[in-house]
Amino acid sequence: MSRLQGPSPLKRKRPDSNTPSGSLTEHERLLYDLIRSKQDMAIWTRDMKRETNLPDNVVTKSLKSLQTKKLIKEVVNIQNKGRKHYIATEFEPSMEITGGTWYAEGNLDTEFINFLKKHCVKIIYELKVATLEGILDTIRRSRAFNVEFTTQQVEEIVNALVLDNEIMEVKSNGIGEFDSIPVGRVCYTCTSKGGDTGEPKIGALASIPCGVCPQISLCTPDGIISPKTCVYFTKWLDF
Amino acid sequence: MVTEYGIKFTVNLINNHFGNLVAKVCENLLRRGPLTLQLIVRYTELTPQQVKNSLLILIQHNCVQAFSYEQDGGLEDGPKSNTQYMALFNNILHRMRFSKFLEIMSREFDDKCKELLEGLLQHGRLTLKQMVERAKDLAERAKSRKKEGICENLVQESLVKLFTARYVERCPASEPVLAARNKEDTPAKKRGPKSARTAEESQTLEQRVLAAAAPMEAQRFSAITNNESAVGRETSMDDSPGMRVGAKRKYDASELHIEPAAEEEVILWRANFEEFIRCLRHKACIENVRERLDDGAATVLRAMLEATRSLENKVKTEKSVPLSLNNIFEEVMKSEEGRGMTLDLVRASLVQLGCSPSARGTDESYKIDLKKIIELAQNDEVESIVLKRYGRDAYRMFRLLSKNGRLVETDKIANTTFVEKKDAPKILYKLWKDEYLHMEKLVVAGARQSQFLLWKVNKPCLWKHVLDEMFHAALNLSQRVAYEREKEKEFLNLPVDKQVMSQEERLNRLKSVRIVLESSLLKLDDALMLFHDFEESSLLKLDDAIMLSHDL
Repeated sequence: MSRLQGPSPLKRKRPDSNTPSGSLTEHERLLYDLIRSKQDMAIWTRDMKRETNLPDNVVTKSLKSLQTKKLIKEVVNIQNKGRKHYIATEFEPSMEITGGTWYAEGNLDTEFINFLKKHCVKIIYELKVATLEGILDTIRRSRAFNVEFTTQQVEEIVNALVLDNEIMEVKSNGIGEFDSIPVGRVCYTCTSKGGDTGEPKIGALASIPCGVCPQISLCTPDGIISPKTCVYFTKWLDF
Repeated sequence: MVTEYGIKFTVNLINNHFGNLVAKVCENLLRRGPLTLQLIVRYTELTPQQVKNSLLILIQHNCVQAFSYEQDGGLEDGPKSNTQYMALFNNILHRMRFSKFLEIMSREFDDKCKELLEGLLQHGRLTLKQMVERAKDLAERAKSRKKEGICENLVQESLVKLFTARYVERCPASEPVLAARNKEDTPAKKRGPKSARTAEESQTLEQRVLAAAAPMEAQRFSAITNNESAVGRETSMDDSPGMRVGAKRKYDASELHIEPAAEEEVILWRANFEEFIRCLRHKACIENVRERLDDGAATVLRAMLEATRSLENKVKTEKSVPLSLNNIFEEVMKSEEGRGMTLDLVRASLVQLGCSPSARGTDESYKIDLKKIIELAQNDEVESIVLKRYGRDAYRMFRLLSKNGRLVETDKIANTTFVEKKDAPKILYKLWKDEYLHMEKLVVAGARQSQFLLWKVNKPCLWKHVLDEMFHAALNLSQRVAYEREKEKEFLNLPVDKQVMSQEERLNRLKSVRIVLESSLLKLDDALMLFHDFEESSLLKLDDAIMLSHDL
């Protein structure tokens, strides 16, 4: 997975990348140098035009030519997907452009994230209580993924799971389940005791139609929408 | 916290129980704050007699408390004209919890006690004589051949039990006198049209009045009365301004010097709602712990709360009374489910409950943060609404902000919760529009992105909003019950050949409908208590502080 590799190893190649750019026109060179000067930040076409003062058609033509020569490539900037951004081929777009690890081609890679989340819950459920390092270690040993995760990435996933209320943070007290974990260390454990990560308990208000009613602000005792005429009530009480 | 729908709901309750005239009087008192008789007559446009009768009913049922202000010297135009009537929002609300109170009673005591309480709940306040008579009536109806004397003894016996458990108390003074206050707090201001303001003010006033009316702690739960103590109280009360309790009970002045037996007849007793609420609060805490942790933790918490119940000094106490590990263990052993627990298990449960021992001498003592438990339960309730109404992404975002407690920027929220960057603002906006989130714009000059949106959960505001939604839902449920009943009556009045369903079918349907509606209402009331009755509102505390500075 290329998006997981850092840009640094490619940067070093820069000095000997002169050969393909030897045959560039004046405009192409101007643009290429500009794009390359932005390194992994990429540049928006409008900004190119402004900075080079070249007419539109020249910019468009040159960009096309540079692309066919594989000197530059287009990248999606997640901050602004409608704007075309270009980057020199030797760079990988920065986190700010791609959105970081969890983005693929400008979109949140929900499938990948959810898969990883499920995997983490499974690990925590099996371990009963797990530290961040424990989870990371299990992922590495399981070889379910062909990518390496950093501690920070796993932490982000685990934090999201806490927000999902599927797992919760607990502090080790060194007794019982915690006996292999130093006292005071933050660990994670599954919220639902059965291990099946179902919906959290539905509250009193949320379990009646009024609790989720989109029209509640329009509902009055004698109004057009009222408990007497309410369709949600009628549906709820249809025995 | 008295919210708009809170008032609507309580007025609806009064309307269902006592009819529309009483409800009208009650609504005016709730909305405008304390009023004199003349003003009630003017606002309600009822006859003075109707208003008087309504007030009598409300006072009898502990829904209204009368009081008056101390007159400035020289300007005596008769204290009667200055009597103010104040609706007691909480007590009205408790009227829908009678079934819960009775359930507590039947769990802890025998049938006799339950009957006694039933009488008090039904009639609001009763004298000992009335209670005895009621018991006699019941016994006669049950055709039991108990002698009258036994009946009286039984009632007294039950009463003593209920006094000890603090479930029954002496009624407060009928019209306590408050010390005159600063000009801006005079009653004229209280009647102002701004209902929100009056509601807030009258709450603190309510506390003052209730404190002034409350009988002395020693007498509150004791049936023993004699001349000496009554007179003694009279004089001691007179010394402190604004607390002249004794003299205000109508009968007192004339009957003080009559024999004790006669006085017993005029002492009124009532159910002590406060104690029942404390009991329900404990129960809610225990059940919440059972759900979140396990049975062991719940057992330990219950044992601790039961052991220290009489030592708690107020209903909404934040932390349980500290108890040593040995004491806790002893208490745990007393209960059936706790008998299997070892000292180590008890200690582990205490850790689970989040309390670390505070060393006091050689003994470790533990106390439990009840406020925290209530808070967690409140969070669960609100979060579950967010999940159901706005979906899982919103749920995650809301939980992030709720845990964080401070402003967070849109993109940061999207990143942490794994929500698509373009979706995040939409979801946040929806939550903001429905008053679930607070938003602030941050404009940074010079930078490329000059405007950021910051979001946070403003708990005091949101809690009030959720409470109002709960009252609204409760009102809807009870109105739907009434509507279903009405429909049923109409159906039964139809000629038989026009009835589509058989009567039996219809009645079965109504029964299930009512079970669903009424059980939902009871459950919703549990949540209402969580937000309204179990926690000291921070708003109130602030108000208290302001008042204190005023008074000083």
